Amino acid sequence: MNEVGLTPFLLLSAFLFACGAVCVASKRNAIGILMGVELILNAANVNLVAFARFNTTFRLEGQVFALMVVVLAAAEAAVALAIFLNFYNNHATVDVDEAKNLRG
Amino acid sequence: MFDWFQAVPGRLHVVGALLPLAAFALLLAAGGVRSLCRPFREQGGFASKLYWALGGDIPLKTGAYLATAFMAGSALLGVIGLTNFLADPSTGEQRAARWGERVDWVRLGPLESASPPVWQKQHAGDRFAPAPKPALALELGYKIDHLTAVVFAMVTVIGTLIFVFSLGYMKDETQKTVEDHAGHEPLASSHDAHAGHATPQAAHSLHRRGRFGRFFLYLSLFCFSMLNLVIADNLFQVFVSWELVGVCSFFLIGFYYERPSASRAANKAFIVNRVGDAGFLVGMLIAWTYLGTLNFEEMTHRVRSPERDSHTSLRNANQFVRVNPSSEPNRYGVPQYELPKQGEGSHLALFPIVKPGHFDGIQAGGHKDGKVSVPVVATYTSYGTIPYWLFVVMGIGIFFGCMGKSAQVPLQTWLPDAMEGPTPVSALIHAATMVAAGVYLVGRCFPLFAPEVLLTIAYIGAITLFISATIALVQTDIKRVLAYSTCSQLGFMMLALGIGGWVAGLLHLITHAFFKALLFLCSGSVIHGCHHEQDLRKMGGLKAKMSITAFTMLVGVLAISGAPLLSGWYSKDMILSSALGYVSVHPEHVLLFALPVVTAGMTAYYMFRLWFLAFTGTPRDQHIHDHAHESPRVMTTPLIVLAMFSIGIAWGWPVWEAEASTLGHVLHSAEPISVKTDFATEQKAEHHVHLYAGAIALGMAAMGAYLAFSVFYQKTPSRDSLHATGPGWYRFLLGKWYFDEAYDAAIVKPTLNLAHAAAAADKRPPEPESRRFDWFTLDGILNAIGQSAGALGLVFRAAQTGLIRSYVLALALTAALLLGMLAVLAK
Repeated sequence: MNEVGLTPFLLLSAFLFACGAVCVASKRNAIGILMGVELILNAANVNLVAFARFNTTFRLEGQVFALMVVVLAAAEAAVALAIFLNFYNNHATVDVDEAKNLRG
Repeated sequence: MFDWFQAVPGRLHVVGALLPLAAFALLLAAGGVRSLCRPFREQGGFASKLYWALGGDIPLKTGAYLATAFMAGSALLGVIGLTNFLADPSTGEQRAARWGERVDWVRLGPLESASPPVWQKQHAGDRFAPAPKPALALELGYKIDHLTAVVFAMVTVIGTLIFVFSLGYMKDETQKTVEDHAGHEPLASSHDAHAGHATPQAAHSLHRRGRFGRFFLYLSLFCFSMLNLVIADNLFQVFVSWELVGVCSFFLIGFYYERPSASRAANKAFIVNRVGDAGFLVGMLIAWTYLGTLNFEEMTHRVRSPERDSHTSLRNANQFVRVNPSSEPNRYGVPQYELPKQGEGSHLALFPIVKPGHFDGIQAGGHKDGKVSVPVVATYTSYGTIPYWLFVVMGIGIFFGCMGKSAQVPLQTWLPDAMEGPTPVSALIHAATMVAAGVYLVGRCFPLFAPEVLLTIAYIGAITLFISATIALVQTDIKRVLAYSTCSQLGFMMLALGIGGWVAGLLHLITHAFFKALLFLCSGSVIHGCHHEQDLRKMGGLKAKMSITAFTMLVGVLAISGAPLLSGWYSKDMILSSALGYVSVHPEHVLLFALPVVTAGMTAYYMFRLWFLAFTGTPRDQHIHDHAHESPRVMTTPLIVLAMFSIGIAWGWPVWEAEASTLGHVLHSAEPISVKTDFATEQKAEHHVHLYAGAIALGMAAMGAYLAFSVFYQKTPSRDSLHATGPGWYRFLLGKWYFDEAYDAAIVKPTLNLAHAAAAADKRPPEPESRRFDWFTLDGILNAIGQSAGALGLVFRAAQTGLIRSYVLALALTAALLLGMLAVLAK
């Protein structure tokens, strides 16, 4: 079996990132946006791990950063969910278009 | 302690000058503590005890006695200092060291950046060349010479007598509450203010706490300022004291500040003096810039040619040397100056204070009459030049300050208004302190004045003495007559100084100080005795009631009129003979003799008029006459002492020779050498005409006195005739030549109009649109800037939708755009 190169990983990562970005930009549901964010983070993870694999100088750093991002994602999800819960308590919805109190 | 004074006896004067300051500080501290403790006065405890100990509600007399004692101590030191000085045999360097000290006060940094003086470049190998002074500094210093010692003693002695007199005169101020009838007078001309005294209007009177201590506090500061001015050895220190004197006069003239007329007079005195001070400042800055020093002696050395150069005595020492710029610079590229072949040079040569080891005088008689190099950056250890017109401006500027202080035309208007202050203040201002300062400074700066400046001084003096005397002829307020006579006598002094009668002018300053203090204190005694009546038209026949005042005042009147053997005679005689001497050399300036001679007659007339109106004849106001009484001993004693001084202060042996005055001889030793070089021919001429001048003056004075005698004594004018308005010239004189009105129209009104216009321009909406000039211009522009920022904010506000998705979109698009740009640029 031929060795798979760096490019397919990057393409996958770009695809995932694009999915995540579109999800964040288009969803009105707050949970959906959160999922989009997870996609974006994981796209970055793929990138990191791929470079760790194919670039010898980043062997350790890439994996450590990927772990870091996983932890970060967990923390971020916790905070974001807390915010949404509060938002739901106040507005009885998780539609982010309703959150326009800061409108200029 | 004794050794300390023995080493430098001039320190006696410094201590003498500081004593009144100490009294001032003590009184100020006590008053401050008292008013701080006042809120606690009912509560007991330390603060309350302190409050009651410092006098409580009733003004304490202790402070006044303390100030008087300090002043007396100062007078004692002044007299001891004078006798010490006259007995001191030392001369030259030693004398300078014993009677003067200087310290740097404000150091203005070393002058290392300036190029070294030219002589230092040329004589680099000369070991004897003194090192140039490394820094410019404003100095504090004192220098006692004959003039200082005499004036110091005069100020302190007169000051003490006035302090003692004030203890009696200001007795009203020791009460818990003082009733001031003139306090709330409706705005009226200052003439009517005095009428307000006589008719107490209960509805308008004002109650306030007595201000006994405060009066002495101001007096002490006033005396300190004057003494500091007298002992100062540099122009800057004089300027500081000058302003202190000004502010003290402001406080004291406005002592009854509840009276609108008093506060107006105080403002006027202060502002008019500021006008003069502006000129003083200009003169001082020119001196500082070009001469590099403000020390009197050094300035003199800088502008006047030295006695000798390093080879020989110079023929024309102590003179101004005027030079022209030479066409080519010397081999170092430094500009050169040369003596003009004919005519006068456009620049004045400045001479080094610290003489270089080898130098040639720049004038006939010097080692060689060559060109002289002047470094581009002149320090005061090198030769320099000053454009001659600037030098004249400097002299005029300094004299302008003196004009303000000594009330010379056209800045004389404040002095008569200064009569609003209590009478002892008038005596202090008119005799010993403020107005003397101007004359004193002219005397001090005499060597710095170009001939043009001296002529200006002489003419200003002559005009002042004439105008003021004519106004004094018709005044009916006892203090105003004296005020104008002060102006007039100051004019005599200025005139004398301007025409080279240096000794005469300053001798008149001293003698006048004594008899004018006497006259003012006498008038104070009269006013006190008549219960604050100042109008001569309501007096008359007071001689029987107040004999001591009447006779001491007669002495003053005789002295000021120039009656033989009294002090005024000596000085006035000297002034007039100087004037005649000057005129006989310069016949085109005949006015300089004619005006003072006529004025000598007028002086006798108005002074005798005052005396006859007040003390002889029948009483014109029975009520006032009935209640009039002689003043207490504390007030009459100073009068008697001053009367004795007024008689004998200028005596010498033989008494009947005007030129034999001892005081005159003392002052003569202080005369700057330049007086002799500048006015050699005039002084020679003076000796020839001396007798004529004396005879003419005496004749005029006798005529004036006789005229007053015949009009006001033999006929005893009726009340109605005194109140008459009279013909046009009479009203003109009564209106004081309409100086006040002219200034009002020319300066005060336009200033006020401008201020009102400016205020209207700044008005906010309630004013009509059309007058809101500022609204459209400066304010408008600034507001427009603010408003445009606001409008811009409104535009950007639309971008702030609050929708997360739009933000994310914007973010993503921006990122894509940036990455795309990067991709394109990377290719």
